[in-house]
Amino acid sequence: MNLTILNGGPTEADGSFALYCSTLSEKLGQTHTLQHFMLDKMETKQCIGCWNCWWKTPGICTLVDDAEQALHAVVHTDLLIFASPITAGFTSSTLKTFQDRLVSLLHPYIQLVKGECHHRKRYDKYPDFALLLQKEPNTDAEDIEIITDIYKRLAVNFHTSLKYVWFTETTKMEDISHELSHN
Amino acid sequence: MSLAIINGSPRGKKSNSKILIEHFLAGYRSQSNHENISVSYLIKSDQQKEHLASFSGSTNVILIFPLYTDCMPGMVKAFFEQIILLKEKPQNLGFIVQSGFPEAIHSVYVERYLQKLTLRLGCNYLGTVIKGGVEGIQVMPDSMTRKVFSKFRELGAHFAQHGEFSPAMVKQLKSPLRMSKLQQTGYRLVSLTGLTNFYWNSNLRKNGAWEKRFDKPYA
Ligand SMILES: Cc1cc2nc3c(=O)[nH]c(=O)nc-3n(C[C@H](O)[C@H](O)[C@H](O)COP(=O)(O)O)c2cc1C
Repeated sequence: MNLTILNGGPTEADGSFALYCSTLSEKLGQTHTLQHFMLDKMETKQCIGCWNCWWKTPGICTLVDDAEQALHAVVHTDLLIFASPITAGFTSSTLKTFQDRLVSLLHPYIQLVKGECHHRKRYDKYPDFALLLQKEPNTDAEDIEIITDIYKRLAVNFHTSLKYVWFTETTKMEDISHELSHN
Repeated sequence: MSLAIINGSPRGKKSNSKILIEHFLAGYRSQSNHENISVSYLIKSDQQKEHLASFSGSTNVILIFPLYTDCMPGMVKAFFEQIILLKEKPQNLGFIVQSGFPEAIHSVYVERYLQKLTLRLGCNYLGTVIKGGVEGIQVMPDSMTRKVFSKFRELGAHFAQHGEFSPAMVKQLKSPLRMSKLQQTGYRLVSLTGLTNFYWNSNLRKNGAWEKRFDKPYA
């Protein structure tokens, strides 16, 4: 299986989130093909809503930075793991800023999906989604529901589904590894 | 009483958000002598300090942003990560979320987040105004935008008078939550004529990119 981790956490080596992600990616890398993008260490600019990626250079964002390699990986992966510590009740701005750039992978044309407007596919296939979260001290069940619901909506827009939600505090890496090997 | 408008559109002064705010403020000013209104643009990242100051120093703050991938743009999330750390918060905080797709259903998920965030900040929640179908307002004929703009002026006037988002306007702007079966059929019929994609097609043609519109550069 091809796996891609979009890591929106701080990447200093001793942070618990960074440690979980690096250990997990090492573990999963033994049986899967895995790419781990430390967004914190890359330059990914805010999408400025110019639509060049839809009507000037279809499929290609014209902002010049490090996002393209990760966008390329998204197209070729089977599972896209959005990894982030929760901050202010949601995934990090680092992750969200990259996420905004995903629109270049869709097509501008609008179609009805289950009676709602959504963009049609640019590519034949989009990866399943997974969320890997680290709670902040005041995270409660409602926060988790809000976050997962929003990622489920994002999945609808990307013609896919949110398949897994994992937590660095409670999800054992063996369980992730097991889940992915039996799918 | 002071009012701070914070524009969270990455398009800044060229944004649809700016246009909606202009109508809101025209209505507001028609009913209020308060001079103490500030408008700031989050995209101006060199003014971060000023953004935070106008947030914490105002009685009422209204943050407007475009829906980006079913949520707030990354730069608006970055702003949230800053304000959560502030000691001084505004008394009242409200939001306007506007989107490309015409139905409000796309924005109701981030609305839940915004309400929870406001609770976390310890501000009084003024509510979230949701308006779909906003992409294109800059190229639409007057006849298509007149109603929306007048609703935003009414929203502003009511806010000046009562310090709240008019419940009636919020309800009207949020409609339709979803397309009715009839609207869906209508949409399908119109899409056969190519009219639903007119905005994209005319720009694709203008840029000489029409032939490449189905490109899959990373496939
Ligand atoms: C990167 C990006 C993501 C977007 N995501 C959505 C979306 O998920 N749903 C939607 O209805 N509109 C979406 N839109 C459309 C914008 O919300 C819409 O164009 C809005 O009117 C732009 O407002 P502004 O000019 O104030 O930035 C997106 C636009 C961009 C550029």
